Amino acid sequence: MTKILLIEDIPDNVELVRKALSRTGYEIIHAADAETGLAMALSECPDLILLDLGLPDYDGQTLAGWLRDESILDDTPIVVLTAWPEEAAKQVVESYRCNGYISKPILKINEFIAQVNSYIKTA
Amino acid sequence: MLPADTTKPIKLTPASQFTYEQLAAIYNQTRVDYMVPMPMNAARLAEYAATYDVKLERSLVATTQEGEMLGVAMLGVRKDRAWITRLGVLPNTRRGGIGKILFGGLIEQAAQLSINFHMLEVIKNNIPAYQLFLKFGFREIGELLVLRRSPLIQQQDPIAADAQRLDRSEALALVEHDRGTQPWTNQSESLFNANEVSGLRLSLADGSRGWLVYQRQKFLLTRFAFKTETGDPPKVAYALLSHLHHQYPRLDTQIENIQINDPHLPAFYEMGYIESFRRIEMWHGRPPENLNGDK
Repeated sequence: MTKILLIEDIPDNVELVRKALSRTGYEIIHAADAETGLAMALSECPDLILLDLGLPDYDGQTLAGWLRDESILDDTPIVVLTAWPEEAAKQVVESYRCNGYISKPILKINEFIAQVNSYIKTA
Repeated sequence: MLPADTTKPIKLTPASQFTYEQLAAIYNQTRVDYMVPMPMNAARLAEYAATYDVKLERSLVATTQEGEMLGVAMLGVRKDRAWITRLGVLPNTRRGGIGKILFGGLIEQAAQLSINFHMLEVIKNNIPAYQLFLKFGFREIGELLVLRRSPLIQQQDPIAADAQRLDRSEALALVEHDRGTQPWTNQSESLFNANEVSGLRLSLADGSRGWLVYQRQKFLLTRFAFKTETGDPPKVAYALLSHLHHQYPRLDTQIENIQINDPHLPAFYEMGYIESFRRIEMWHGRPPENLNGDK
């Protein structure tokens, strides 16, 4: 089963992503901070990482740097979840070698699922 | 969730009566819908308070009479100046005047200490907060940049220079003199309060020279202070940054509140720094002569 690691600290957002992706059949695993997220990424080897940029211990950019420094995760797509403006989000994606970003708030569920699918399929 | 009833009287309680876990929780909840939420856990909030001289006994939590937390605002205090920070109100209780009550409460706390000069930063485009501060008589001073540099970008060789590493005492001796007006976060007290502070000083072949002081956290370089003593600021800054990032190639970097007119900025962009977001610095009252915390 395709496994997605969601690294996000806000419970309402976690619930929203879980609900949105419940119909896809993906397995969603969740970490609420950066250190747990890194540990789970290494132990679970997910097919996709959805990464919130605002985390309570280290922020999402620092975590993206750690994740990309791990050779075991070389082929794992990392997709940033952010409310930042497009230009700033693109810069983060490029400089931290992520695979793309999805804008928050998530308003259109079908669009969100399609975006997630696109990263899974190109993995 | 139903909106809280903000028609009931609001109670202000010193933040020192709450744990850092409780304060981090309410702070995070007030910012869940921000473009840049910057959540904190208890440890980060405690470090923030210690570094920036936030006085919890002068900071305030707004609650209902029954004790339901609605918002928070914190006050930093240094000699003759005060700093307003971490002001936030739960999204479902906004537009009920709680922010105004908290803000006025902090001004009153500062007045009790005979402090009449206040500083703050507000994220650019946070119009409601900006308008609130204007109503309290704050004025805009300038724009500040939050910059970031990924450790994943291609490393540069260090520029040829006579470079010297500085230990904490040598580094702190530099930051406490003659750095001009600085935002609260970058004043010398912040570096004195921070752990793992060190620095670099270098001279270039053409006689240019300068220094850079920084905090090295476990995974992050941060809290920079820098100065060009002689020569072209971008050239000196580029040389300093090339040595710093050569020394710590695997560390992420975040620096906050760099003034938009800082002459060193081109060197940061050339070294791969990107702009995360901007803040507006605002002041209220007559500033003291020295706004770096110089000794």
